[in-house]
Amino acid sequence: MLRPKYLAVAIALATVDLVTPLAAAPFAYISNQLDDSVSVIDTQSGAVVDTIAVKGKPAGVAASPDGNKVYISTPEANGFAVIDTKQRKVIGTVNVSEGSLGITVSPDSKHIYVADWYNNTVSVIDDDSLKITGTIAVGQSPSGLMVGPNNRWLYVANRLDNSVSKIDTQKMAVVKTVTVGEHPFGLTLDTRGDRLYVANVKSDDVTVIETAQMKVITTVKVNMLPYATALALNDSRLFVTNQDDGSVSVIDTETLKEIGLIPVGDKPEGIATHPDDRYVYVANWFDSNVSVIDARNLKIVNTIKTGEGSRGFGQFFSTH
Amino acid sequence: MKKSYLCIPFLPFLFVAVAHAHGPVRQKLEQEITINAPAQKVWGIIKEYGDMSWLPTVKNTTVQGGNTVGATRVLTLQNGGTITEELKKYDEGKMSYAYKITEMSTSKTITHAGAEEKVPVLPVDNYAASIDLEAKGETTVVTWKAGYYRAYLNNKPPEEMNEEAANTAVKAIFTEGLANLKTLAEK
Repeated sequence: MLRPKYLAVAIALATVDLVTPLAAAPFAYISNQLDDSVSVIDTQSGAVVDTIAVKGKPAGVAASPDGNKVYISTPEANGFAVIDTKQRKVIGTVNVSEGSLGITVSPDSKHIYVADWYNNTVSVIDDDSLKITGTIAVGQSPSGLMVGPNNRWLYVANRLDNSVSKIDTQKMAVVKTVTVGEHPFGLTLDTRGDRLYVANVKSDDVTVIETAQMKVITTVKVNMLPYATALALNDSRLFVTNQDDGSVSVIDTETLKEIGLIPVGDKPEGIATHPDDRYVYVANWFDSNVSVIDARNLKIVNTIKTGEGSRGFGQFFSTH
Repeated sequence: MKKSYLCIPFLPFLFVAVAHAHGPVRQKLEQEITINAPAQKVWGIIKEYGDMSWLPTVKNTTVQGGNTVGATRVLTLQNGGTITEELKKYDEGKMSYAYKITEMSTSKTITHAGAEEKVPVLPVDNYAASIDLEAKGETTVVTWKAGYYRAYLNNKPPEEMNEEAANTAVKAIFTEGLANLKTLAEK
């Protein structure tokens, strides 16, 4: 979700001689579920610069595209925590429902969406008031969430229904549902919002969906227990964490074939691409660290120690 | 006949249980032991996927498929319970293998939140583990790791099926297993 915005910023900076300096390199906010904390990685130094206490087994991460806040879902605290990125501390918690897990923010930073694993709903929260403004009924055990670039369409992976739904955020209702592989979990939308990639935990594959019609283009086999995905290099490569294989599969998005397999840490889960569109960060749950992959040569360039049970499920990069 | 109508609303809940939702927080356990014996000797004791005689809690093991990925073994425990596991990785060179529980017998049935719950012999769900050997001169470091969820598939678990129950049970097996492996290898 950050990429189009960053691109716009980059273009603005390149074309207009702005005096305002660009903030330091972005930060990665990695939820450490077994530590009740969030590690803040300064991507320039490649080191953890802060650790924020977050109660309630933090899991999902959604950085607000405006860079002001990072939302962390806390399933055992029935909602999510709001981190102020300037103070780097929790400035509030929002009670949503009992199984809050998947979380995302719309590209305009106005709405937060939280999927409830047990109640089969997606709640809509207003970014300013932090009040729930709507609840949308979806399929069973909704997991990954992502909003399209025009803020209109929200996509959700319904894990136990083996499906992905497209939601109209204005009508707050599902408009179309498509069957995918078994137990879809993490999903990624391309920059234009045309194509959706869904990792299917149980069938060990990734379903590629064309979003206009919500039709499956193809299914790409990956490795054991694919969990989440991220795009890099102008959407040309898709990276998929294979949880039970300790690896990341690389898929060429043109040929839709697997072109590489990169060993990372044990039980890789959350994955997101740095706003530079080149380095892919992977949270290794068992090893409690983050692997940094160079998307160009598919090599690991850094491994950063985080906290116990690093999950980082969602878009975890923030400008501050 | 009226009674049968009452059952219908419960069907969706049954489906959830069968389709395996799981708790929100995965648990992990890692244990390590240094054995004063060469790695080849230790590996010799554990390398047969279908032979779990080094784990005291296991009475006997049957296997289909030997040491190839996809092989299934059934562990019959001293208490009569059974655990079925699938081999997911096997690396002779690295002296390691990984496996996953695919089925378990029930140790007891409890009532919780108005429903009958079957407590599996190992109170976990979605359990995946690996065992690795590392040669350190004439000694061997054995690492046993597992990731799993609590056995209870919905929120508000009973104490027999919560995270603590899962961790306690897995830890007991690892501790006992590694200690016995050390005893066997150092003989």
